[in-house]
Amino acid sequence: MTTRDIVFVVVGVITALSGLLAVSTRHVVHAALWLLVCLGSLAGCYIVLGQELVGIVQLLVYVGAIVVLVLFALMLTRAPIGPQPDIDAPVWQRVVAALLGAATTALVAAATLPVIGQQSVDLDTPVVTTQQIASAIFGTWVWPFELLSVLLLVALVGAFAVSRVVLARRSRS
Amino acid sequence: MTGNLDRPDPDDLERPVVDLSPPGGAPSKVKGGEPDGGRGGSGLSGILPGIVQGLATTARTMTRHTHTAEYPDVRPQLPPRSRGVIALLDENCTSCMLCARECPDWCIYIDSHKEELPPTTEGGRARQRNVLDRFAIDYSLCMYCGICVEVCPFDALFWSPEFEYAELDIHDLLHEKPRLSQWMATVPAPPALDPGSADPAEVTAAAKPARPARPVRGERAPGPGRPSRPPRADPQQTPPVPPADGDV
Amino acid sequence: MSGLTWLEVVLRAVAVLAAFLVLPLLVGQTEHKVMAHMQGRLGPMYAGGFHGWAQLLADGIKFVQKEDVVPARADRSAFRLAPGVALVPYLVALAVIPLAPGVVGAKVDASALLVLAVIGVGIIGTLMAGWASANKYSLLGAMRAAAQLVSYELPMVLVVASVALAAGTLSLVGIAQAWTPWWLLWQLPGALVFFVAGLAELQRVPFDMPVADSEIVFGPYTEYTGLRFAFFLLAEYAGIVVMALLFAVLFLGGWAGPWAATVGWLWTLLKGLVLAVVVIWFRVSWPRLREDQLQRLAWVWLVPIALLQLAVTAVGVVMMR
Ligand code: SF4
Ligand code: SF4
Repeated sequence: MTTRDIVFVVVGVITALSGLLAVSTRHVVHAALWLLVCLGSLAGCYIVLGQELVGIVQLLVYVGAIVVLVLFALMLTRAPIGPQPDIDAPVWQRVVAALLGAATTALVAAATLPVIGQQSVDLDTPVVTTQQIASAIFGTWVWPFELLSVLLLVALVGAFAVSRVVLARRSRS
Repeated sequence: MTGNLDRPDPDDLERPVVDLSPPGGAPSKVKGGEPDGGRGGSGLSGILPGIVQGLATTARTMTRHTHTAEYPDVRPQLPPRSRGVIALLDENCTSCMLCARECPDWCIYIDSHKEELPPTTEGGRARQRNVLDRFAIDYSLCMYCGICVEVCPFDALFWSPEFEYAELDIHDLLHEKPRLSQWMATVPAPPALDPGSADPAEVTAAAKPARPARPVRGERAPGPGRPSRPPRADPQQTPPVPPADGDV
Repeated sequence: MSGLTWLEVVLRAVAVLAAFLVLPLLVGQTEHKVMAHMQGRLGPMYAGGFHGWAQLLADGIKFVQKEDVVPARADRSAFRLAPGVALVPYLVALAVIPLAPGVVGAKVDASALLVLAVIGVGIIGTLMAGWASANKYSLLGAMRAAAQLVSYELPMVLVVASVALAAGTLSLVGIAQAWTPWWLLWQLPGALVFFVAGLAELQRVPFDMPVADSEIVFGPYTEYTGLRFAFFLLAEYAGIVVMALLFAVLFLGGWAGPWAATVGWLWTLLKGLVLAVVVIWFRVSWPRLREDQLQRLAWVWLVPIALLQLAVTAVGVVMMR
């Protein structure tokens, strides 16, 4: 086992455990905070695997923006300190959730493991640099990229329109 | 950049602008009174010079001399009427209790007893007088309102600018008669009278024609007392309290 | 991490930690002194003997001695963890900001992006602190901080994208190496936007509503005492250091200057210090914005200017190629 293996295992275990805690805790805000740990250590996983850029983007988008928004929304609405019994799920729901989770994991593993097979990558000499990712996104995949950005733009304009229309209607009535 | 931040409400603009300038004086400087109603451009011209002015003021101040007095090393120049501590001239005190009763905090403690004075003349009547046993002010309660000093009819209490009597234990701030009397030495002389003011009451009284002489009773020896007032201020002279120098 | 021995890693970590502990104190002391003189005062004069140079050390010792109070109704774990969460991101950011081509804590390919990412994470400490304190002022402060960060993150990312575009790289070293004096004009709007957005992210005057003492006591940090409070303060000043150095590297060419090969790192530090003084200067001179004015400034002015800057940069890059 190399250092990299050990680090990967540690970060991976943290990711898995915090993910589990995020869905099982009864504190709403703690759930969001565990989600944060989970997404953050996932970024760590990427970095250990030599994909710095993906890890950083994960950090920027998920930890720095999305979880902040989740926390923000939670605290704005209803985030009491202490456990909340009413967000507790009955046992059968937990069992079903566990089964579904396990099934998804199995499915993903079954689909990807044969593809990857016994291939190995030398992580110490990075093969994919930021430059390569950039040229892939803006070269090979430029159309999907553009489509996605148009989608986001539409969502943005939609959100704006909805809020404006609602506001206008409110001010009229 | 920060142009529109304080743009007035459109509703505000419809209202007539109150002209605060005196009639015939300079045109009103009320915001919104400008031709384009404080919108856009004029908002910019209002804010930008404002923030630059702020920066300029602080920068200018930085190059100037500071006003800090480095107290433990440099003694502060206190004005003569500073309220530092209350000093007691105990031979003036008649234990009349006015100060203790008027004190809003009830932080003056007075104990006294009556003493019989033997008659000074043959067959005369014995007189009584109050002897002050204890006079204490609790400076942990005192709020330096000065009511006691004002109310004392016998000129027994004075303000002294002395202020260095901090203690580590709050109980040590209760100061008794000896300590209060010690501070008498630090009481400054009263400021000179203004030119052209009326004579002080005691001078007027002394100038009155003398009453027929009466037998003198046990006269008090002149104590340390308080310093006497300097003669009337010379109109040409500078006022007793020079304004703090430096830029104002 | 490949080419480094363990010793080198440890040495670099220690150096970054030392910079992290010294530079914010330097900024703090500068603030003490500059602010005092701008207000016609002297500031600290006694601690340490010479012009109060040891004032912040004395403050630190005082903070260590203070009782560490956790409010009874607070969420203990989140409350205790929050200062660390606020502090660590700036440590990471400081580690990847280069002072000169070789003088950098950790070499990262996309360091500009990494700095932006971790600065965004820092806000979570504030959010946690505000929520866990069980105090409405703290919560309000945290809300304000988060709202502020969400709106100012966007223009900031956009202008950093603009310089990255101009330099053709996401690495801070690369950006500073690609810098030419002509950028001072070309990237000027972006630089202004970055500076304003940086001030807002640091919650410095005139964007200090999250800690507005006249409205919400001390915002998210109201309930903190002792060392944890000191950590938040350290995070604030470390934030100033990070922002100032980042600005120097992105927009002022970092180590560009006479004898850059030998004393380049000094140039970066000097530029950073000047920017920190400007930050302090603003604090002394300007009043606080209102919450709605802040949002308006971000969305009506900064985002469009940043987008325009991006477009101008793109045109410039294409023309010059
Ligand atoms: S100054 Fe006011 S509070 Fe103090 S002892 Fe005199 S009357 Fe009382
Ligand atoms: S008012 Fe004056 S004379 Fe009367 S008790 Fe107080 S100090 Fe003595």
